[in-house]
Amino acid sequence: MIRLDGVSFRYRGAAEPALAGVTCHIGSGEVVGLLGQSGSGRSTLACTLNGTIPHLMRGDLQGRVHVGGEDIRARRPRELAGRIGFVFQDFEAQLFSTNVALEVAFGPENLGVPREEILRRVKRYLGLVGLEALGHKAPASLSGGQKQRLALASVLALEPQVLVLDEPTSDLDPAGRRDLLEAIRSLRRDRAMTLVMIDPEIDELAWADRLIVLERGRLAASGTPAELWGETATLEALGVKGFTLAQLASRLGLAGRWQDADQAAAAIRGAGWRVNPAAAARLRSADAEPAGAEVLLEVEDLWHRYPDGTGALSGVSCAIRRGEFIAILGQNGSGKTTLVKHLNGILRPTAGDIRLAGQSLRGHPSSRLSRRVGLVFQNPDHQIFAERIRDEVAFGPRLQGLAEGEIARRVDEALEAVNLAGAGDLDPFVLTKGGRQRVAVASTLATKPEIIILDEPTTGLDHRELTGMMALIQRLNRAGHTILIITHAMSVAAEYARRILLMRDGRIVRDGPAREVFADEAALLDLGLTPPPVVQVANRLGVPALTLDELVGCLERVAAGERAGGAGGRG
Amino acid sequence: MNLFLYLDEDTAIHRLDPRTKIFLLLGSFVAAVLFFRPAPLCALLVVLLLYGAAGRALQNLRRIWFLLLGIAVLSVVSWSVFARGTTPLFWRVTREGLLYGAGAAIKIDSMIIAGLIFLSTTRTEEIVLGLIRLRVPYQAAFAFSLAIRMVPTIIGTAVTVTEAQRSRGLDLASGGPLRRLRNYIPLLVPIFLHTLRNTDQLAKALESRGFGARRERTSYLEIGFHGRDVLALTAGGAILVGFLLFRFVR
Repeated sequence: MIRLDGVSFRYRGAAEPALAGVTCHIGSGEVVGLLGQSGSGRSTLACTLNGTIPHLMRGDLQGRVHVGGEDIRARRPRELAGRIGFVFQDFEAQLFSTNVALEVAFGPENLGVPREEILRRVKRYLGLVGLEALGHKAPASLSGGQKQRLALASVLALEPQVLVLDEPTSDLDPAGRRDLLEAIRSLRRDRAMTLVMIDPEIDELAWADRLIVLERGRLAASGTPAELWGETATLEALGVKGFTLAQLASRLGLAGRWQDADQAAAAIRGAGWRVNPAAAARLRSADAEPAGAEVLLEVEDLWHRYPDGTGALSGVSCAIRRGEFIAILGQNGSGKTTLVKHLNGILRPTAGDIRLAGQSLRGHPSSRLSRRVGLVFQNPDHQIFAERIRDEVAFGPRLQGLAEGEIARRVDEALEAVNLAGAGDLDPFVLTKGGRQRVAVASTLATKPEIIILDEPTTGLDHRELTGMMALIQRLNRAGHTILIITHAMSVAAEYARRILLMRDGRIVRDGPAREVFADEAALLDLGLTPPPVVQVANRLGVPALTLDELVGCLERVAAGERAGGAGGRG
Repeated sequence: MNLFLYLDEDTAIHRLDPRTKIFLLLGSFVAAVLFFRPAPLCALLVVLLLYGAAGRALQNLRRIWFLLLGIAVLSVVSWSVFARGTTPLFWRVTREGLLYGAGAAIKIDSMIIAGLIFLSTTRTEEIVLGLIRLRVPYQAAFAFSLAIRMVPTIIGTAVTVTEAQRSRGLDLASGGPLRRLRNYIPLLVPIFLHTLRNTDQLAKALESRGFGARRERTSYLEIGFHGRDVLALTAGGAILVGFLLFRFVR
């Protein structure tokens, strides 16, 4: 179905090629996952499949790309639209119609599909992605996750033979992600559809027929998920995280491929591993520590209603202590972002109050509060404006009216903290998304706030960037900053946060230590959330572990346990 | 937050064919430019408000009242001060200047309100379809609808960028006039760059969904002239003729 032969591509003005001699053939009906760190050429490769490259993005294309027997050089994307569907990563920009139904109808209309058939497709594909009840809503009024599902439905309505998806679930909560993938799979049961999917999480691609890993524009590894199961080291060297359960298996010295947590837990028990009660108790007691600190931020019965009348927060109360590391979780549209925008005065409460170190925020302008409560927005491109990174980071301190010497010192400190020391004179836009995200964090850091709030700090980052970003946030926390993050990435919340706030419909429905919240899997599922794979296995084994290290540390082999009592403790 | 003007209601005005509403809009523009005195313009404004009320579109006035008021004040004040007249009232303001200013204010506000009612009761897709049936080429009609769409998108971006920069301590109202102007640079650069990138993405998305693949395009929406369109056009035409007679015959 898809044949790439010696394909190379260099963007106009770029020094390095984005693709360098890629050859691969994808059969009809095959499901292929594309992996690779950012800048590896994943998106570039995907863009050649419907002719977006070379027709809409300028550069030098070598080699041959044939899709369904057509040479993509000879056909524009619009001529291929009926056969090759493409869902782009930036889903916001793909929606332009007045309402949801018309958005889905747009593609079939362009192809001249008869009206009766368009009506059928609109109904079918909106139903498939669970938006049938929202046909009359404006796409702009939907939540991020709903927009992402709409973008998919509007492409599915073209009924393509090949579907290319560039990070189709980046803004979805775990339940939404599961539903979406299930929808795509159910579609493939009815008719053959070749699927090429980019996803940063290899765990999400375990059902693919084949995985292809790119590195610096070259095809670096390829194989079925079963073949790449144990190749964690190879994948990590290419900047891709290996299968989570495979890492667990190799740490425990077990062979075999596990489909889910149930299988994993059964296999681990079967191999003679059991829980070391003392180690488990140590984990539980480790959490008690920050409770003694002073309350820094206190939210009391906070209500918020937007000017158009929609209620966003309905009576939120919580107290945040100095030095805490908190993650706010919840489904799309549950009020997480609205809540944090109140904490630095960007939004004003409709009712209720917020106190910072005992003082009400009422009457304090956000320009002053920003020195104490720093908020890093989700998309760094909404704030970067300077031509040099140094000036960008100096923006906050300059507004505070600090002396130039002090500003320079703070900028250096902040750049050092985010590992961008020496990059101060570069243009922020030469950096990757992860790099620009770090610039945004440095900008906040330079104002030295006590509390740093980060809205989705890992969205769109690859494995290395994500690890680097979270290590940075953890360092800031250890240096005394109180940290609040909003995230969809359950593994990030489990691994780094010590306290979890669960939100639903503008309320906090659960507030507790991460260990307790993640142990209650049924309650999480009820909110459309699932614990990360490691925690799922831990829950089945009855271990209060949140990370791979903790889990392995709590297990011991029965025979070994009798001898030394600490065999599992080595990490 | 909904940034579009269109109100998803089911009124008689909403059900009119978009072409009918385009004609009514043009008719109201013609009526507005006929007069300079406030009295007949007030009559036109009343007709428009009744029309808007029938389409439940007047709730959108809340969103643009500052614009309407600003235009009214500017017009009345500037014409009062600069227009010459024969009946002095006070200082250099004359009765004629004041009336002319008031007329101009009502005229411009009426035209804006007519446009607002049109956009509040007609989906952009219907406008496109109406324009196509009026023999406007599809690409041109679609470009027009994209322009309408760009406005709320840019406003949405501007809101987010403003919030992000305020979070970094930006106070737009601080400093003298020059400083205040410079305060806007950290807003304008990200808004501009973001909009550019968005436009680029949009072009790719449109193309990949077959935009312009064929000359003949089908349509999900159905439009057509019905009895109510005949009624609306007759009523609108009669009112316009009335205004014309009032202006030219008397």
